[in-house]
Amino acid sequence: MNLRKLYPVSFILLLLSFFTSELVAAPPEGYDFLSLNKAMKQSASEQKPMFLYFGRYGCSTCRKMHKEVFSDAGLNKELSEKFVLAYVDTESGNRIRLPNGERTTEMQFASRNRILGTPTFIYFSPDQKALFKKAGFQTIDTMGLYNDFVLEGHYKTSKLKEFLATK
Amino acid sequence: MKRLITGLCLCFFLQPLLASEQWTFNKKIAVTAEPVEKVFHHLEGAGRKHIAISDDSIMVVWEDDHSGDPQIYLNSIKAGGSSFSRVLQVSTGVEAYEPAIAALTGSKFVVAWEQDGEVYARSLLDQQLSTIFKLSKNNASQVSLATMGDKVFAVWREQQGRSWSLWAAQLGLDSSGLITVLKKSRVEPEELSTPVLFPTIAVNEAGLMVAWEDREYGHTRLKYSASVNEGQSFSEPQYLNEFFSNRNEYDKGNGVTRVSMNSYGEDEFVASWMDKRRGGVGYGIFAAQGSDDSFGPNEKVHSKQGDSLPHYNPATAGNMVGDFAVAWDDYRQGNSDIWMSVYTEDEEWGVDFSPKTASGEGEQSHVSIALDESGNLHMLWVEREKIDAPTRLWYSHGVRN
Repeated sequence: MNLRKLYPVSFILLLLSFFTSELVAAPPEGYDFLSLNKAMKQSASEQKPMFLYFGRYGCSTCRKMHKEVFSDAGLNKELSEKFVLAYVDTESGNRIRLPNGERTTEMQFASRNRILGTPTFIYFSPDQKALFKKAGFQTIDTMGLYNDFVLEGHYKTSKLKEFLATK
Repeated sequence: MKRLITGLCLCFFLQPLLASEQWTFNKKIAVTAEPVEKVFHHLEGAGRKHIAISDDSIMVVWEDDHSGDPQIYLNSIKAGGSSFSRVLQVSTGVEAYEPAIAALTGSKFVVAWEQDGEVYARSLLDQQLSTIFKLSKNNASQVSLATMGDKVFAVWREQQGRSWSLWAAQLGLDSSGLITVLKKSRVEPEELSTPVLFPTIAVNEAGLMVAWEDREYGHTRLKYSASVNEGQSFSEPQYLNEFFSNRNEYDKGNGVTRVSMNSYGEDEFVASWMDKRRGGVGYGIFAAQGSDDSFGPNEKVHSKQGDSLPHYNPATAGNMVGDFAVAWDDYRQGNSDIWMSVYTEDEEWGVDFSPKTASGEGEQSHVSIALDESGNLHMLWVEREKIDAPTRLWYSHGVRN
């Protein structure tokens, strides 16, 4: 994947602060999804990779993944223990502050990053570089492979597509 | 064959030109100073009501953080003028967001905004701001305004614990411009356990119309409700957007967000919003036209040239003569530009066009529009060199041809 396409996303890496004023949409149950700012801070301080989930309130594919994929105990354990989890509601008016100092909303953040549909997942390395973006339904197995690609450091030497071709 | 190809080419290129020739846009005029590092302007109020016209005065309102904190500011220009006058700060608290403005007669205006978690309003006459007045009782935000003659109406949302409510009020102004609440009532009859978002309001001879985002049924839906007694009571809420659900057991309908609404003519309304019914290509701009207390079927606003990409931040405008238009931003030309559409004599939305003053290099977005009674279009938008660059506000005036 051409990481330049993820350039706009990369500037969240230095998020400074986050103001929340209402309920978040609906990340999957049984996971400790954080606001973007909290997740970025935690990822930086713990040197853990971050898993960013762009969702939408009422999104049917999100619901399907919650029931059929995120409900998997193994995936839950791996994501919860080895990643810092962040959730952005693509229609929310919740305010975030970007590294350039700008205050905007989660909805505006999603639109300027050209998130076309939900769910969309972006994986970040422990040093907070956007690695790849995946949109739409993903199976438990593919999620596991994405996790391996990041956790085992394959992203340092190969592209995701190349890595997946070996599996 | 050559003639056929030439004819087809002419048709292809001429159609958008004809649509855009509804207005001739004057050179853009700066509303704010040159971009300054780490200063950002926002036009993100509920219903996108950031520009209003009274007599020969055009007033604009926005939020920016040039003072170090987000605050609300006004500036004005005379119709046909070449420069804006002076910036007035409206908000008085620590932080302020998402303002709205509406015009009364005699170059008077009312502005409302969120400040430190509450909703406030004040009026403006001859560059003099009235004392600020708190509209809300509880934690509140996302206020929108509508006026007809010298009648002013506001709608906003409040939150108390885990309960949400939507309030509408008729505001009165005394001779000094001081605002009072004449009538106030809930739009939804009872408090809700789920959020209501980004309400907007319009008014005409038929009455008041309020539209908003509702999350009551595990999914965002747009609702509307009408009042024929100046906001003393509201009709049972109806759905504004049509549903495309039951694709599978998880589906409750497509995403919808950020409704904008205005009145036009004596008793008609137009609402537009971002609508994800097209699936994986992002939000389209959809609209509905209403009269009296109900809306007609949903209509796709953007033309087929915009079918394969997302569109954002719709704004509507209308006037008493019966003109109305919808504007938005999208990046079909690579970067974000302002686009708009008008309803044609064939009773369908015309071919999209992008005013040259609000397109081209850089990112142009978050447009707000108003139509004067001569059908001239007034347009305010945010411009930045690139997506994370500092911003500047611009205004352009489209003279009706």
